[in-house]
Amino acid sequence: MKRKFVRNIIGGLSFTSALFIFQACYGTPQDMGADVLIEGQVLSKSTGLPVSGIKVSVAHSLQFELTDADGKFSFYTELQDSIRLQFQDIDSSTNRLYTLKDTLITETNRKTYVAIELEEKND
Amino acid sequence: MTSIRNYFFRYFKKQEAAIHELNYLFWECTTRCNLHCLHCGSDCSQDSSHKDMPLEDFLRAVDTIKKPARNFTVVFTGGEPLLRTDIEQCGRELRKRNLRWSMVSNGHAYTQQRHISLLNAGLGALTISLDGLEASHNWMRNSNQSFAKVIQAIAIAASSSRLQFDVVTCVNQRNIDELLQIKDLLISLNVKAWRLFTIIPIGRAQTNPELSLTDNQFVSLMEFIKKQRTIKGFDIKFSCEGYVGKYESDVRDTNFFCRAGINIGSILIDGSISACPNIDRSFSQGNMYTHNFFDVWNSQFQSFRDRSWTRKGQCENCNEYKQCEGNGFHNWHGTKENVLVCHKQKIDNYFHIE
Repeated sequence: MKRKFVRNIIGGLSFTSALFIFQACYGTPQDMGADVLIEGQVLSKSTGLPVSGIKVSVAHSLQFELTDADGKFSFYTELQDSIRLQFQDIDSSTNRLYTLKDTLITETNRKTYVAIELEEKND
Repeated sequence: MTSIRNYFFRYFKKQEAAIHELNYLFWECTTRCNLHCLHCGSDCSQDSSHKDMPLEDFLRAVDTIKKPARNFTVVFTGGEPLLRTDIEQCGRELRKRNLRWSMVSNGHAYTQQRHISLLNAGLGALTISLDGLEASHNWMRNSNQSFAKVIQAIAIAASSSRLQFDVVTCVNQRNIDELLQIKDLLISLNVKAWRLFTIIPIGRAQTNPELSLTDNQFVSLMEFIKKQRTIKGFDIKFSCEGYVGKYESDVRDTNFFCRAGINIGSILIDGSISACPNIDRSFSQGNMYTHNFFDVWNSQFQSFRDRSWTRKGQCENCNEYKQCEGNGFHNWHGTKENVLVCHKQKIDNYFHIE
């Protein structure tokens, strides 16, 4: 503990700000960024059953994941003040057809759970 | 002022060696590769006869780390990590343990689909190699498709604001005159950070003189980096591969400090415990299949933490040894009687400094 304190003082005195952020010569930069784990489940509003194959995507990002057989999804994405998720049925009527839904997550902690119910399309 | 700063920096390095906090762990998760380059950043004497290390084996070693440091990162390296189909699962297992992970890749298999699945699995940092404009890159990579693929990979990776992303370039005789054009190309691809390094004559690089820079070329590389570091919004630097004497404060954010075995450890393909993967394998400190990984980290690594044994060969009477301490650890190979490359000497030779 004492040594770490001395380390910080000496690090500061040698006038370099990057002492504690380093990378090996053949390595990557250190990850100092913040992200959030978004997990959840998509259910059918009418049956209460899980819906697989729903594309869960992050607005203004390439990121998406498809729900699994239990309707579940889980991915990390960049921590922001708010994150807009879109739930889109992309497998047409394979397991019925569901309407598109958006949701805005405004309280983003390091781990956020989202439960979504999708309505069936009637056409 | 410089001598005071150097004094404190030396003291800081001693403290770091004493504290010996593990911040950065390489995992050589495969030695398979989809390219056969003229030079390889890992120990290129390795063959790919080893099977990929099973994830469970690696996790058993990781789980021996009691209270990982706050900024602890696992860096997946190879071979080419993307040849493993379970990289995302490996990353997710680390994130479950509240650990961060990153990856070094040649970019050949880095597609948009893979980019998305890696981000989904919590990838936080990425380094991709670009070794020149099309002809010189493809020459180094030994593949006429590599340039097109790596440019696509770089563009995809650079589009992510989440990733800490940089491009590395091995500077050699074929690309030394292309550096300005490479820089412009990277800026046009929205890349924010570029790291340049040179090649030490080990493995396949031993027999190819085109891979090493002359003293004159090395100084022109230093001058190039020094000049380009004035560009705002684009972080260009020389890697931490070696001590560069009079250019120390001009080409990097901090003075030279080889942290191999001080803050950087590795688990190699056969379970060996060492520091950076390009370090001579005879420096391995144990094996995770027979020893507790974290016990080895805490109780071994003396030759990394006390570099006084490197004061021999041309380092013996060097008046800047205290700053350099034998250059980058990966420069001690074979008989280890002398340092393989002395960057300072290249500079001194050019300026005719005795």
